Amino acid sequence: MLSNSNGITGGRTLPEGEALLSVRGLKKVYHTDGGDIEAVRDLTFDLGRGELVCLVGPSGSGKTTLLKCIAGLLSATSGEVLLDGEKVTGPPKKMAVVFQEYGRSLFPWLRVADNVELPLKNAGVPKAERKKLVEDALDAVGLSHVPRSYPWQLSGGMQQRVAIARAVAYQPEVLLMDEPFAAVDAQTRADLEDLIRNVWKKLGVTVLFVTHDIDESIYLGERVIILSSSPTVVQEDIVIDLPAERDQLETRSLPRFTELRHHVYAEIQKAKQGHRPEEAKTTFLTNPK
Amino acid sequence: MKTLKSLLYILALPVLLILWWILATAGGASFFVPTPADLVKTFIDTWIGERMFTDVLPSIRRLLIGVVGAIILGVLLGLLVGLNRTARAITEPVFEFFRALPPPVLIPVLMLLVGINDGMKVAVIISGAIWPVLLNTIEGVRAIDPVQNETSRSYGISGFARIRYQILPSAMPTIMAGIRQCLSIGLILMVISEMFASSSGLGFAIVQFQRSFAVPEMWSGIVVLGLIGVIMSFIFQWIERRVLRWYNGLKEVENAV
Repeated sequence: MLSNSNGITGGRTLPEGEALLSVRGLKKVYHTDGGDIEAVRDLTFDLGRGELVCLVGPSGSGKTTLLKCIAGLLSATSGEVLLDGEKVTGPPKKMAVVFQEYGRSLFPWLRVADNVELPLKNAGVPKAERKKLVEDALDAVGLSHVPRSYPWQLSGGMQQRVAIARAVAYQPEVLLMDEPFAAVDAQTRADLEDLIRNVWKKLGVTVLFVTHDIDESIYLGERVIILSSSPTVVQEDIVIDLPAERDQLETRSLPRFTELRHHVYAEIQKAKQGHRPEEAKTTFLTNPK
Repeated sequence: MKTLKSLLYILALPVLLILWWILATAGGASFFVPTPADLVKTFIDTWIGERMFTDVLPSIRRLLIGVVGAIILGVLLGLLVGLNRTARAITEPVFEFFRALPPPVLIPVLMLLVGINDGMKVAVIISGAIWPVLLNTIEGVRAIDPVQNETSRSYGISGFARIRYQILPSAMPTIMAGIRQCLSIGLILMVISEMFASSSGLGFAIVQFQRSFAVPEMWSGIVVLGLIGVIMSFIFQWIERRVLRWYNGLKEVENAV
């Protein structure tokens, strides 16, 4: 089927010391009154410095759970997340998160520039430096003309840009994005996708982008991790060998784009039907953490 | 034109009421209801002068201390309780009990405990006016958006900074609604507290006028109370418009969609 030598089952791992972000045997079980719910069973993969990786999976595959565990907002039931070799126990300073619900993530009582500035102010960054970081970040997302507006005066797409600017200004090493464009219209979405590619190239930040949109994951990513359905394991980890310069029309009409899209689509369909990669099954059976 | 129109809205009803009052008292006033002209004269004679310093200002001072005290205590306690699920569960029934007590019944007790002084009167005002602020703060803090919480956490905004930049602003619309109630309760309790074992203040003066059948003077005292209420309400609205500008704008946008 797919002629991609890098297409491997299970998540790709890097030799020790090379990974910026490592997820090892991550498992998350929610204890509810109605019994335990295993959202994530066993996830292992690495992100190298400067990578842009998309995580795609069927709905309900624990994508958000995984992201929150990585962000230090949820504690894993077992397994661990390592950032730069250090175990993540709470939200690390080197990470910034962009949430899907931009309208609720931005503080409506603060103006655009103040929203972007708040994390820096809280971190004790000197005023002059803060001002420059805020200006640069707003400039990078194309919002330098509305610093005095309130977020709710802006369109949905612009609000999500503010949230991205806030994350960028925080100067994270890892940028986590949880379906950030799920709630904006298709045209805005295309603009925002290009914006993310630009920001990523310009700043050299490592990006983990969670989405349920297959096209988006291929268009954006240098690598796509496909998750199985719940309880979640890594179904496949593929390299997206498209040209580095991406264009909404050109790239999306490349034969290779279509091939990759077919492949990922088929994998997600398999995942939905309950298919599980052999390796993950055996890993789980032989190594029940 | 627009200011003229809003001025007309504000003045129309008061003017009508006064006209009606003039007509009703035109054929010789009743002993119990003075004519408007009499009342204006009595008002000036009674309140512009010594009584301003012996009764009006001390009352306003006690009212301010009581209300500001109730707001500060209410918000602080509300934050403390609202941020802690266990504290909420423990205090809720107790708060409901104390809130149900009409503060005037506490006056004799407070007289014994605090003494017959300004402190007692301020304590009465606080004991009644704190509840709407306290309960609304708890409610406002409890209803905070989980996404906002996660945002604060992921950006390392915690402790005092989180209260200042996230929790207080987010709870402010609910807190302001509580403060609005707190003001009117404060005014009522100011008067009532001065009716017991008192030698000065508006409540004391009005009761004295009543007992000495100084009817126009009594009415003029009631007018003073009304004026204080109106001025407080205007000041409150002015502050609220500024503090909640974002909230009102947000609601307008949401309703327009």
